[in-house]
Amino acid sequence: MSGYVLQRLLQAALVMVAMSAIVFVGVYAIGNPVDIVIPPEATQDIRAATIARLGLDLPLWQQYLIFVRNLFDGDLGRSFIYNEPVLSLIAGRLPATLELVLLSVLSATVFGIALGVYAGYRPDSVLAKAIMAVSVLGFSVPTFWIGLILILTFAVNLGWLPAGGRGQTVDLLGVAWSFPTLDGLKHLVLPAVNLALFKFAMMIRLARAGTREVMLSDTIKFARAAGIRESTILRRHLLKLISIPIITVFGLELGSTLAFAVVTETIFSWPGVGKLIIDSIAVLDRPVMVAYLLLTTLLFVIINLTVDLLFALIDPRIRARGAA
Amino acid sequence: MSAPVSPLARFWAEFRRSPVAVAALLVVVVTSLLAIFAPWVAPQDPYDLTTLSLLDARREPGFVGSGGYAHLLGTDPQGRDLLSAILYGMRISLQIGLAAGTVALFLGTTIGILAAYARGWVETVLMRIVDLQLSFPAILLALVLVALLGQGKAQLITALVAAQYAYFARTAYGAATAERRKDYVEAALATPLSGRRVAFFHLLPNCLPPLIVVATVQIANSISLEATLSFLGLGLPVTEPSLGMLISNGFPYMMSGRYWISVYPGIALIVLIVAINLVGDRVRDQFNPRLRR
Amino acid sequence: MTTFRTPRARRALALILAGLASAAGSAHAQDGTLVMGVRGGPESLDPHYSALGSHAEAAKHIYDTLVWSGDDLQIEPGLATSWEVVDDTTWEFKLREGVKFHDGSDFDAEDVKFSIERIPLVSGPTTTTIYVRRVADVEVIDPLTVRIKTDGPAATLPYDFVRLFIVSSEAAADYSTPETANEGFNGGPAAVGTGPYKLVSWEPKGDLVLERYDEYWRGKGPWAEVIRKEMPNDSSRLAALKAGQVDVINYVSSIDYLALQRDASVEAVVGDSVYVMNLQLDQRDEPPGVRAIDGGALESNPLQDPSVREAIDLAIDRETMVQVVLEGLGKPANQMMPPGFFGSNASIAMPEHDPAKARELLAEAGYPDGFEIDLYCTSDRLPGDGAICQGLGQMLSQVGIRTNVNAISKTVYFPAQGRLEYSVFMNGWGTLTGEASYTLGSLAHSNDPELKLGAYNRVDYANDDVDRLLQEGATELDDDKRRALYEEAMAKTMADKVYISLVQLQTVWAAKANTVTFAPRFDEDTLAFFIQPKN
Repeated sequence: MSGYVLQRLLQAALVMVAMSAIVFVGVYAIGNPVDIVIPPEATQDIRAATIARLGLDLPLWQQYLIFVRNLFDGDLGRSFIYNEPVLSLIAGRLPATLELVLLSVLSATVFGIALGVYAGYRPDSVLAKAIMAVSVLGFSVPTFWIGLILILTFAVNLGWLPAGGRGQTVDLLGVAWSFPTLDGLKHLVLPAVNLALFKFAMMIRLARAGTREVMLSDTIKFARAAGIRESTILRRHLLKLISIPIITVFGLELGSTLAFAVVTETIFSWPGVGKLIIDSIAVLDRPVMVAYLLLTTLLFVIINLTVDLLFALIDPRIRARGAA
Repeated sequence: MSAPVSPLARFWAEFRRSPVAVAALLVVVVTSLLAIFAPWVAPQDPYDLTTLSLLDARREPGFVGSGGYAHLLGTDPQGRDLLSAILYGMRISLQIGLAAGTVALFLGTTIGILAAYARGWVETVLMRIVDLQLSFPAILLALVLVALLGQGKAQLITALVAAQYAYFARTAYGAATAERRKDYVEAALATPLSGRRVAFFHLLPNCLPPLIVVATVQIANSISLEATLSFLGLGLPVTEPSLGMLISNGFPYMMSGRYWISVYPGIALIVLIVAINLVGDRVRDQFNPRLRR
Repeated sequence: MTTFRTPRARRALALILAGLASAAGSAHAQDGTLVMGVRGGPESLDPHYSALGSHAEAAKHIYDTLVWSGDDLQIEPGLATSWEVVDDTTWEFKLREGVKFHDGSDFDAEDVKFSIERIPLVSGPTTTTIYVRRVADVEVIDPLTVRIKTDGPAATLPYDFVRLFIVSSEAAADYSTPETANEGFNGGPAAVGTGPYKLVSWEPKGDLVLERYDEYWRGKGPWAEVIRKEMPNDSSRLAALKAGQVDVINYVSSIDYLALQRDASVEAVVGDSVYVMNLQLDQRDEPPGVRAIDGGALESNPLQDPSVREAIDLAIDRETMVQVVLEGLGKPANQMMPPGFFGSNASIAMPEHDPAKARELLAEAGYPDGFEIDLYCTSDRLPGDGAICQGLGQMLSQVGIRTNVNAISKTVYFPAQGRLEYSVFMNGWGTLTGEASYTLGSLAHSNDPELKLGAYNRVDYANDDVDRLLQEGATELDDDKRRALYEEAMAKTMADKVYISLVQLQTVWAAKANTVTFAPRFDEDTLAFFIQPKN
């Protein structure tokens, strides 16, 4: 078991190193960032001074080494555009994205699984068919379209909810969160619904598919034959059996939702990390792009690792293989 | 005793039993045909600047323009007939979706089967890369690649392929690994047939069903992802309006009452994606042995 | 259980809902707070960091400039009350007495010297050194007098100073290096100015919160608190206004303007913009984006032929461009500066629209079947830029010049244009200093880095007469003579038709009806101090 853990940790480390190199080269080697960042009217000496100041005149490998050394100091560089440390830029905007993503994923999971299990349990009922229809729509309609329709309907035409931006914040543990305030919640509703819809649909389908498979499986047949009550079957067997694929998907979808927040944050002008990366890509603010990609990779690696380790705990087959 | 029925016929008989799936398939076929024959079917070539007139700009559906015919779905801000623009836009969406899906299919399947067949460290390395890619969200990868490579059809397809081949690889690998342990493969390997022949002619056909399912989903995803990227301004350039671009161009007009510029392309996009997904759903349900009771 | 079937209950419910809705969108303008929804915000609170318009606009709330540019860009006294030439290379500025910074300290000549000298040190990617490029040395004569030595006769120095922001030499003393500047200003201690509002808080790309500075030298501003919210998405910004989240917004797009006119709850303010859209035609012998109609190479560059350029000009229908593409929010332009500016030539005629004649000219010039060009422009910089480009493509195609339109992001467009990769391109140019040397000196003069002229001349345009006129103008200190020189230079430049001016843009602001009033500015700035509540 410990051999398995060690193996996974080593692989995670390797992945981080590889990603850092790829990301760095990919972002810094393409084109010349100075052109983006200097006004065309700048004279030669201004140009040279800017290049020197941003360290762009050093050979690529040297820039990379400096970059890695700074990483270990906790310094992810300074934004070209804002001239502020990237880490503080990202950290300042992370709470906004986190509360949006967590709210979305939680509501999507809870409601999605509930509805999906029902749809799988009674697949031929009218309600189940309706749920599946909604899920196909939620799955297929691009997030940005739904966002636009939400704004048009609830903000512009009905005027119930704000069209964008983040609400009032309160300080909890030294960080500004907006969900504890009523105003904050009002601003959270539309973007959270927008972001959740896709996951919601996916959870429904997964839960339904898993439920149908399990309900048709031998385990359930024998349990029924043995006369066990239906509710016990549901609780003890069904939920446990579908929990594995759902945990995997939940972990992966958490990361994916973080990424998809990019679209929602853009439409609703939500001041989160996603919007930061889009803006940075548009102006080729390379330090921010690199830092964001690295942090995202780190996040995914951690999530993967956690999911794998959880599996190792749950699934005895993996434990046996790893120990061998 | 009746003659043996081919697997395809059996498949189709089963498929036909769901009216929703059949309707969806019909939609997909019709839109594909319309898209392929767009240059002949569409009343106007929206890319030929000499046929446009600014005086026709932003007209409501039914308006008879300077070309002498009625614009059934209205016109866009440049005077383009929206129906034609949608047909050409669907063409581009399908082109990109199919191209990205097909290339990803080939690439991913090759990697997956190679990994399953070769085993050892090749398997480990390949599947680790695939796993990492799987957990990395497609949209992020696509965003960054497009930002780095620039805009254009080829670059966009590359980005989409890079974001999606992993699904195919994973599926092919899983199916191939499962098949590999079956008796018929062991038997085939015991014969003088080369390993490559076995992989290609024996493993692959039996891995096809799940791959087809993934393919339909991924084609729909490609179309959706491309629309999202175009909406964010990072997809195709402005002069090749895919449906996503049409929607994004048209949205500012929604608030001023000229809804058709955005709504109709939006409906077209949604119908296309939903239809593909419904077909894919049905195919997946049919192929899933665990549901066949 | 109460049901909502009775009319009385329904009315009550409606009242409650209306009450909630109005609470959601409270009329901020009534309680002394102005909430502005702006398209772009500052990059930092160091006014010397960036020369971008949105940055300067925000800075004008906290800081003052030495010279003030009025609504129509004519210069007026700011922190400097008067200025005059002492000798060929020296200007003397007299400073305003009794002005205090937000922290109570006095404003004096030391602050001016400090501000000018720190610019090259802390200026960011969009450099502000352009505003002090002619300054060789700064001398403090007495606390209210400053002498500026220039590198050669600089007739337009006061115009350059309309964007010279003055910071406190005491408060910013420790924050004038690239590493310390932004922290000191964004964090607070150095963000001390003489402007109408004091800084309360700021988040990059977030809200800029300000409170009134009661001792401002122009007087007490109308708002106790000002909040500038950065909302780059046009539709969201407008939706926020309609929902009551903000009181005023800038840059209403032409698309929404029509709808606004029908909405009685919102009123729009339209102003002429300083930006003119110009089509630029490559004069090099081997232009990269021009080819024969069949795709092959051409023997010579058709754009070098004056009758071809005239044909292009005739193909353009400026009226339709304004009425249809810009939906009425613009004016046809025949030169690169708006009318009435220093150096604008009122006698230049508006070009005609005659596609038939255009075709004739092309045939005579040897292009009966036309030729093909790649047209480039921005799609995200100025309102309508991408649409104008597409319209242009249509108009040119219809006289036989097949056009491949490329409307791209400004972050790609400008660097590529700077690298001379484009042959036919169009962008907006804003004469931000209100006078011709800024525009003609950058565009019409041949590219000469030593003379610091022609820096933006990316089409290899060179007219010796124009060059001579512009060089004379740069050193001519008599206003009337200088004006005549520039007017003549403008006439000659436009006659060459290497630069073809298309339209002058208009800017639209919007606010809730009957809440505020303000005069539109040419430079498109939205300044809280000048927005008055309507009572």
